[in-house]
Formats: sequence, structure tokens, C-alpha cells
Amino acid sequence: MKRQLKIFVITALCLALAITLSFIGCKKEEAAEGGMQVKTYTNAADITIGFSLWTMEFTFFQNVEKGVKDACEDLGFKYVMIDQNSDATKMVQDINALVGQKVSGIVVTPVDPGAIGPAVENARKAGIPVVCADIGKSGPVNALMISNNFKGGELAAEFLASKLNDKTKPLGLGNLLPQWTYARQRGEGFLSKAMELEYNVAANIIVQNPSAEGGYDTMQQILSAVPDVAGVYFTSGREAVGAAQAIQAAGKDIWSVGYNGDPEEFQAIKDGVLDATILQEPYYIGYRSVEILKEILMDGKFYENVEVPVDVKLVTPENIDQIAADILEKTGNSAFPAQ
Amino acid sequence: MEDYRLRKTKQKFGAFWGNFGLPLIFIIMFAIFAISTPSFRSTYNFLNNLSFSSYVGIAAIGMTFVIMTGNFDISIGSMLSLVAVLGSSFIPKIGGAVGIISALLIACILGFLNGIFVTKLRIPAFITTLGMLFVFRALAFIYTNNVPVYISDRFWLYFGNGKLFDVIPFPILLMGVCYGAAYLLLRRSPVGRYIIAVGTNPRAAALSGINVDNIKILVFTLLGLFVGISAVTNSANLGSANPGLMGQDFEFQVITAVVLGGTALSGGNGSLGGSFIAALIVTFLNNGMGLMQVNSYWQMVATGLVMIFAVSLNKLKFFLLGQGEF
Repeated sequence: MKRQLKIFVITALCLALAITLSFIGCKKEEAAEGGMQVKTYTNAADITIGFSLWTMEFTFFQNVEKGVKDACEDLGFKYVMIDQNSDATKMVQDINALVGQKVSGIVVTPVDPGAIGPAVENARKAGIPVVCADIGKSGPVNALMISNNFKGGELAAEFLASKLNDKTKPLGLGNLLPQWTYARQRGEGFLSKAMELEYNVAANIIVQNPSAEGGYDTMQQILSAVPDVAGVYFTSGREAVGAAQAIQAAGKDIWSVGYNGDPEEFQAIKDGVLDATILQEPYYIGYRSVEILKEILMDGKFYENVEVPVDVKLVTPENIDQIAADILEKTGNSAFPAQ
Repeated sequence: MEDYRLRKTKQKFGAFWGNFGLPLIFIIMFAIFAISTPSFRSTYNFLNNLSFSSYVGIAAIGMTFVIMTGNFDISIGSMLSLVAVLGSSFIPKIGGAVGIISALLIACILGFLNGIFVTKLRIPAFITTLGMLFVFRALAFIYTNNVPVYISDRFWLYFGNGKLFDVIPFPILLMGVCYGAAYLLLRRSPVGRYIIAVGTNPRAAALSGINVDNIKILVFTLLGLFVGISAVTNSANLGSANPGLMGQDFEFQVITAVVLGGTALSGGNGSLGGSFIAALIVTFLNNGMGLMQVNSYWQMVATGLVMIFAVSLNKLKFFLLGQGEF
């Protein structure tokens, strides 16, 4: 027993020593933090872009990935992609792995923007510039490409107001969880414009389960809370489609708007289930992210914590065919679900 | 005579496989990735993977104890999330060091509660921990209003990002210490013998004077402690504690590592070393395939198949040792 006690004490002392040494090591890192040294390139073939993507499960992210990949091909860069599989821990592991691979620049679409801070800091310390392609960030990055979500919310409110043309009619909002700081601006823009147009948003409910089912359930809650609701806006695509189906099931005549421009939303608008959506440009977000890295790595341009807003568009039954044709031409992908 | 020789050979191979099978799989897998993908074989990538395997690896110690007693705990993913958000939210008031101690205390209490429900209320571990899976996650959501807790305390962050001599990630050290302590507890102390006895035959253990309930409560509490350590290192590495995203599928990964490592779900003897190697296999496999640019869907297929392969080879070991059918 005495021997075991000895071993425990030695182990504890070793741990304490390790912690102390770790502190010393980390303090050294702090001293070296002073600013980012980026290696510049003259030959595009020497550049490798690493891309860490939330997931390939959804069309939106598939289009971001296509944009990143196409840009790398067009600019003559090598390209490495790692799928985070919707796992924040894997996201950090992947970004660290890309740093270990000594890639020239990193594009990241984070599953948890709050958790990329230390990994991005690690990359930037190694002289690797980082661009966030949508979602958000925590801590400094070189640039963040992000949809103009506030404007998107305003467009949704303007659309509903133009269709209702009666300020006494209440509106409903299916909002995002508070953690999505940037995407929450979709709701803030809507509330702000509705207030400006003197409409009452009588229900503002968070969709707890981000899916079509979650949208369906939230719409039912809105219908219970505000039975005479005349127009609703859901701040994400699948949820909006679920909400529109709940409206149809309830046999109500309510205007509905979504956000994203997912294929399911395009189909729902074509089928007359959903009335409009706000279209983001994931392909452009991915493509432009690589162009920014090119400007940093080859042109020596300075980017530090720059937020690049990406425009959004209103899609309605009137312009859906034209917009779908534009998407097909630009990305090679149909805006509608694969048959 | 020939039968005897064959049986002996089988037994020798079974014993060899029992000791070296998993490390062999790991080495072969490592060699394949190292040959095919140059970036895989860098020291940086090796340490990065070892560091990331520590979250599952540390919690797998506690889970090995629990499974050895014939129970299991599927609430640990939610527990990890709750402990991380609670502990990190205390930092502004009590500082990082005391915050970590309080996080570990909370984790022990949560594990203790699971143990009490299973032993004193006689609720099966599956039902208890399934219920707690929802309770812990919901409490994490309620406490934070689903807003992540950002961590800026340097002491706390060192537990996920600190490096010894600027090279060895701190989580690796911590994992080494945890495995060392767990080995002493399991193989060199009476408690370890009690755990094995309770798992092998609870009735015989009770008749020989072991308080079976107390041992079960102890292993659940220890599991809580190890999950608490994982919660601190994981949240430190992420720089935040997200109540919704932290610990997703964590229980699946940990139970996989323990079962893959050779601990039988029916209880009895288990292998800490096996759990450790299995945690490495899962982490390095994912990393290697990612670096090889294997499509994420094929990664899932490969991970599943490797697990089935490893577990069936484990069954082969028992068959060769004459302890079961294949």
C-alpha cells in the first residue's frame, strides 16, 4: 500500500511539473504572437488550399464546396477538403491536420463558429491565412464571407407587407437558436423592417429542432398562439418548407417566406406550397473565399478580420425560372431537387 | 496427441492475439496510411491525433470500469456537455483552476446519481442513463439558453491547448496520467479486484463480503470523473462550451472504443490497454481517411467495417482459447 501511495504521489508531482512546464511553453507562444507573417507565392502551382467543411449532407454546403473547388481549379491551386461530419471536435482536429500538412491557406465553413478560435489562432501562428466561408467566426480571421442576412430579413418583411397590404394583420417568425449570431440577423432584419412598416410580429418562436419537422411543429405553435396570423417568415430553408406544409395541412391561407434557396424550397415555390424565399449564394461564397486567399498569398493584399457581405435575392413564383436558369449556368447544378 | 497439440497451438495463438491483436491492427493501419499519405506520417499529425483521441480515451477508462461491472452508461455525451457549460460558466467568478475542480466535482455528482438510480432504485442502467441523457442535455440548454459559453481563461485553455516543451500536447500527458492511475486502481488495489469480482459473478462477490452496490456506485462516479476530465480538455481545445454540439455521439464513440478494446458487454474482465488502443484506432482511422480524401460516406462505411472486423477477431480469440463459440 505504501508503495502505491508513493507511485500516486510521484504521479501527482509529475503532473504538477507538467502543468508548470506547459505554462512556460504557452507563455513563449504568447510572446511570438505579435502579428501574422504570411508567405507569398509567385507560382500558383505551389499553393495548396485546405478546406474544412461542416458537412456534405446539405445542398447549401455542397455548393460552397463546389465554389471552393472550382476556384482552386481556375486559379491553378492544389485542393484538399476534409469533411467535419457536423462534429465540432473533428472540425478543430481537421484544421490542425491542415496546418500539419502545411497548406498555404485555409477556407473553413464551421459547424460551430464559437469553437474555431484556438484552431484558427494555431493556423495563423503558422503563417496560414484563414477565410471563413459563411456561418460565422470567433476570434480573428483574415476574412469572413457572410450573406447579408439583415437585408434578407428586410426583404422578407417587405414581401409580406406588399402581399398583405393591411397593417392590422399579424405576422409570425420562426427564428433560429441564439447561438447562431450571424444567421440570427435574418430575424433581426425582419423584425426591424416589420416595425418600420408598422406591422406587428405577434409570434417570434425559436425552431428548437432545425429540420422540416421542427418547422412543422413551430408553425403549429404559431397557429395556436396567433390563430389569425396572416404571414410567416422562417429563417432557414427546410424549416420553411415544413412550416408551409403545416399551413397547408391546417387549410389556412397564410403567406410564407423561407431563407436559403434550398432545392426543397424552390420545389415548394414551384408547387405553390411556399410563397417566396431569400436566396443565398453558396457557390459564390466558396469561390470568392479562394479568390481572397489568392489576393493574400499572391498579391500581398492585407486582410485582417474583414467581413465581406454577400448579396441576397428574393425568389418568388414570378422570377423563379430566371433565377434557376442563372444558378444552373453559374454552378452547373439544378436549383430544383434531383429527380 | 495431435488434438492436444492443435489445442495448444490454438491457445497460444489466442493468447497472442489477446495481447497483440489490437496493437497489430493499429500498426498495420498506421503503416498503410503512412505509406499512402505523406502528410499522415508527420510528428505534428501524430501528436494532433493522439491529443484528439484523449477525449474518448480518458472517458473510455471510466466506461471500461462500468462495463466490467455489467452495466453501461449512455448519458455521458450529455453529461460532458452539462459539465463543460457549468464549469466554464463559473470561471468569471471563481477562476479557471477552481472552475476545473468544480467541474470535476459536478461530474462526480452526476455519475454518483446515475449509480444511485441503478443500485438503490434498481432501475436498469439502460433506462436510467437514457433518461439522464435527456435530463443532462436539457439542463445544459436551460442553463445557457442554448448560448455557448466562451472560455478565455488561460489556465482552463491550457488543458486543451497547452504543450509541454512546446511539443507534447497537454491532453496526451493527462491521458497518460489517467491510464496510469486507472491501471494501479484496477490491477494493484483491492478495489480493482472487487470490480472484477462484481462483474464476473455479483452473487458470489456479495457472498464473499463485497458490497456490490457500493462498487457499482463507485464505478459510475469514477466514470463521471473521467467524463469531467474529458469535458474540461475538450472545451478547452474548442475555446467554448456549446450545450447543443458538445458530446454529440460521444457515448457511441466511447462504448465503441471499450467494446472494440475487448471488454465484454456482459461484464467481467476488461482491458484498459485495449480501450486505449481502440480509441487510437478510431481517431487515426478517421484522420487517415480524411487526409486520403476518402469521401465522408465511405469513411463511415470503412469505420463500421473495421469495427466489425476487430470485434469478430476478438471473438476468434475467445474461441481459440476455448472460452466461446465463433
